[in-house]
Amino acid sequence: MISMPPSERDLHAYVDHQLDDADRRLVKTYLENNPEAAAQVRAWQQDAQQLRAALSGALQQPVNQELDPALIRQRLKHQSHRHLASAAVLLIAVSVGGLSGWQAREMTLPGAPPPMTDAMQAYRLIAQQGILPADYKVNADGDMQGWLDRYFTRANRLPDLSGAGFKPVSGRLLSTEQGPAAMVVYEDQGGHKISFYVRPPGPKNYLLPRGSRSDGELQAEYWSGSGYNYAMVSPSDTPAAQMLKQTAQF
Amino acid sequence: MNEIDEQLREIIPRLRRFAVSLTRNPSSADDLVQSSLERALSSWADKRPEGDLRAWLFSILYRQFLDAHRRTRRYARMLEFFTGRDDAQPSVERTVIAQSTLQAFDQLTTEQRALLLWVSVEGLSYKEVAEILDVPTGTVMSRLSRARQALRQLSDGEITSPSLRILK
Repeated sequence: MISMPPSERDLHAYVDHQLDDADRRLVKTYLENNPEAAAQVRAWQQDAQQLRAALSGALQQPVNQELDPALIRQRLKHQSHRHLASAAVLLIAVSVGGLSGWQAREMTLPGAPPPMTDAMQAYRLIAQQGILPADYKVNADGDMQGWLDRYFTRANRLPDLSGAGFKPVSGRLLSTEQGPAAMVVYEDQGGHKISFYVRPPGPKNYLLPRGSRSDGELQAEYWSGSGYNYAMVSPSDTPAAQMLKQTAQF
Repeated sequence: MNEIDEQLREIIPRLRRFAVSLTRNPSSADDLVQSSLERALSSWADKRPEGDLRAWLFSILYRQFLDAHRRTRRYARMLEFFTGRDDAQPSVERTVIAQSTLQAFDQLTTEQRALLLWVSVEGLSYKEVAEILDVPTGTVMSRLSRARQALRQLSDGEITSPSLRILK
């Protein structure tokens, strides 16, 4: 049994239907004679009601099949089978011999991603979808090289693409497991975008030979120098991509 | 097994709604729901307590969100360290003055949003909420009171939350 006058907590409990019947009646009578407390309670009730109304739409989302319990159960089972299978392979391989065991381990682990996967991902996020905002934008007296030098003092200079009509316009710092990376976006008059990406060498400290790779709609030209890896990324099958491909040395 | 799945299917829309209110983003909300369901189903046999299934699932989802949130915050701090600025949230969001209940609700802290959703919208008991948050019932009541007060003030447009003024 609560004591009168009801405490603020009792009023909340009243709003939330968490009082037993006797207490509920007590508070009700009290509110009938205390307009100020009644107004307060009414305001809380209204807020709760509006919140329920506002959030009711979120219950009507179309069903997402990925979230179906039966499917999730199946996936979980599959995963544990796979883990068991890798464990079994390891066990057999190790007992056969140290060296071959090590190879089996390598085989059961996922391979390293192809070079400059992150450069292409950064291009999608920044240049195509605009999800990540730029940290630095070049204005009239802007100095993109100066910005880059703040983080990568020893790195190669920014390639000069002004011959093809491309100028650096914005930059963004990113992080990789090995340390900071940066992406500089070049743009031409027509709004076409090329990115320059610089990052520390990957997990096994591989420097990259000059190479080229395409992934989906993007193409990356990559190389290494001064202790960093670099990539120029652009959409494939564009004049810009052709131009980058034919540039032997950036 | 099928009976459990039926129960789960009924609760999933509520989990998704709760996840959206935490993440404010439908697609990451569904990722959160998915990983919570995976956790729930894989620890079903030994962890599932007696009592409201919904409350148990809410608590798993809430924990997972907090863990993920901490990780992102660490990442944001790291970025801030390199770039000298805070990219975690767009600044527009900080300056919006609440006009509707939903806008006001979105400005509350994570815990306040969860509390109001559990109590006012889902109708969980104080005791169930206390178990989810692992605090005494009294604490739930005082935090709820603060959450309501904050929602009230924000939807009246009386104040913008103090956190709105901290950064530029």
